[in-house]
Amino acid sequence: MNRDRIAIDVQDVVKTYEEGRIHALNGATLQVSEGEFVAITGPSGCGKSTLLHLIGALDRPDSGRIVVNGVDLAHMRDLSHYRSHRVGLVFQLHNLLPTLSASANVQLPMYEAQLSFWERRAKAQRLLEAVGLADRAATPPTKLSGGERQRVAIARALANDPPILLADEPTGNLDSKSGQLVLDLLRRIQRERGVTLVLVTHDAQIASAAERIVRMLDGRVVDAGVAPTKAARLPAEGE
Amino acid sequence: MPFFMLIVRNLLRQRIRSLLTALGISIGITTVVALGVVTHSVKATAAEILRAGGADFAIGQSGSSDLTFSTLTSEQLGEIEAYPGVEHAIGVLMVISPLGSNPYFVQLGIEPADLAHFEVPLLEGRALAAGATDEILLGREASRQLGKGVGDTVELRDRRFTVVGIYRTGNVWEDGGGMLPLATVQEYERKRGLMTLIYVRAKPGIDLAQLTARIEQDHPELATLRTLSDYSDVDQGMQLMDALNLAISFLAVFIGGIGVMNTMVMSVFERTREIGILRAVGWRQRRVLQMVLGESILLCVIGALIGSTLAVIFTRVILIFPVVRSFLALEYTPDVFIRGLAVGVAVALLGALYPAIRAVRLSPIQAIRYE
Repeated sequence: MNRDRIAIDVQDVVKTYEEGRIHALNGATLQVSEGEFVAITGPSGCGKSTLLHLIGALDRPDSGRIVVNGVDLAHMRDLSHYRSHRVGLVFQLHNLLPTLSASANVQLPMYEAQLSFWERRAKAQRLLEAVGLADRAATPPTKLSGGERQRVAIARALANDPPILLADEPTGNLDSKSGQLVLDLLRRIQRERGVTLVLVTHDAQIASAAERIVRMLDGRVVDAGVAPTKAARLPAEGE
Repeated sequence: MPFFMLIVRNLLRQRIRSLLTALGISIGITTVVALGVVTHSVKATAAEILRAGGADFAIGQSGSSDLTFSTLTSEQLGEIEAYPGVEHAIGVLMVISPLGSNPYFVQLGIEPADLAHFEVPLLEGRALAAGATDEILLGREASRQLGKGVGDTVELRDRRFTVVGIYRTGNVWEDGGGMLPLATVQEYERKRGLMTLIYVRAKPGIDLAQLTARIEQDHPELATLRTLSDYSDVDQGMQLMDALNLAISFLAVFIGGIGVMNTMVMSVFERTREIGILRAVGWRQRRVLQMVLGESILLCVIGALIGSTLAVIFTRVILIFPVVRSFLALEYTPDVFIRGLAVGVAVALLGALYPAIRAVRLSPIQAIRYE
C-alpha cells in the first residue's frame, strides 16, 4: 500500500440513461489513493451509486475515463477478471443467492480463481471467521439476520483478496446497531488488509467514519474533501 | 461447492418442472432408442440369414425392393458354382406365409442333397430324404409353438408334411420356420427353377473380397451380401427403417428442444437478477454459459437415461407376443443408446441456445436491478 499512489482516478465521467434523458453523472471527477477510506455522500439521485457501479465495472460510462491502479477500464478486455480480482463489491441489498449456504455464497467469486473445491471451502471458512460468522457457514441467507447477511456479503467481496472494496449503502437496510457492526467490520478490514475502501452512503454519521468525505450533487463531485495528514491517519491506540 | 453441484442445485430448485421436462424429453428418447433397438435387431437377424448354413456370403438379385422378392435362376446358380474359388453354392427359395398362430412362418426350400453342405444342427430326427416331396424340418421355436415333433404332420399351403427332424440354428427366423424340399416350395409357390438366395462357401484360402467383386463384375444383376451394410444396401425395407429412425430422431430433437427451451427460458428469466449477481462478482460470460448449458444438458441426460430405461422395458414387453418373438431377437448394442444420448444432448443444446445467449448478454447492473 502506498498512500501517495492513486488507486482510482475518475476523470470527467458522464453517464446517461433512457437515451440521454436521465443524466446520472455529469462530468464526475474523483481521485482515491491506495489504502484510503473514502465516503461518497449526497442526496438521492445525485449519482453516487452510479459512480460506484462504474468504478466496479458493472456498467460503462458514456464518456470520461476511469483508471484503476494505472489501468484504464475502457481498455480492459476482460472486465470479469477485474470484477472478480481487482474489486470487491458490497451492495445495499446484500445480493446473496438464497438457495446457497453462506459458505457457498462466499465461494462464488472464487470459481474464477483456479482454486480447487477444498481450497475454496477452506478460504470461505477463513473469511467467514474474519467476519465473525464461522459457525454460520452452512446456513442459507434466508436464515440469517440482515447484519449477518451483509457480513457474508463482505466476506464474498474479499473472496479473491481484491485491493479495492466498493460498498454501496452497506448499512442502508440495517438497524443502527447492525449498521455500526458492519461499518466497524469494513473499517477493520480496510486497516488490517490495507485495502482502498470507497463507501457510498447518505448517512452523515456513517460517512463521518471515513478518512475523507466526498460530496456529490446532480451527477458531479462538488466537494472532494480533504485527505487527512499522515499523522492524522494513524489510528489511535485501542481503536 | 463443486461447479457441477451448483448446476444440480439449480435444477432441484424447481423439482417438479425439472422432472416434467426430463420426462417430456424421455418420451422422444424412448421412441428413438426403442426403434433403434428393434431396427438393429431385425437387421442383425437378417444379417445372420446371410451367413446361414456356414456360408461365407450370400447372393441376391441386385436392386430388389425386398430381399425376399429377390429372384435368381438355376442357370445363375450353375454359373456361380462354376467359379474356381467356389466350393459349394446352394440355392434356396425363401417364402413367408402363415402357419398356425405364426403369420410369419419362414419356409426355406432347399435341395435335400445340399443339406449335407448346409450346416443345420439337428436336435432330433433326420435330414430331408433325397427325392422326398412331403417332408419338413421344423425349427425348435416353430416346433414348440405348433406343438409338433418328429413323426407329426403339419398342414401348409393345403398340403400335409411329415416332420422328420427338429433343428436349432440360433436365428429366430430360421428357428421359427421350417426347411422343405426346394422343388416342393417352387411348386406351391409357382416358381419353378427359381430361388431367392444363393449361399456360397468359398474354397479355403480364397480372398472373399476378390471373389465377391469378381462375381458382381461378371454379373451386375447380382448383389453379393456379406455384411449387414450389404444387406441394407440392397433391401429397401431396411433403408426405409433407417430413414424412419432418422426422421423420428429429428422430430424428437425438435419437439424435445422446444420443451427444454421453454423450461430454460423460464429458468433464466426467473434468475435474471441472480445471473447479474454472478456477473457482478466476476463470473465470466463463458462460466454463465457453462452453467445454463450444463443445466440443460444434465436435464436431457436424465431424460435420456429415463428414456433408455423405458425403451428397454417396452422392447422386453413386446416380446410377450409370440408373433413378435418369431421374427425378433432383441440385441441391445451400445451405439443405439449412444444415439439416444446424442439426441438428448442435441435437444439440450438446441433448447438452451437462446436462454444461454440471453443470460451471457445481460449487463450485470441491469440484471441486478431486474425485478
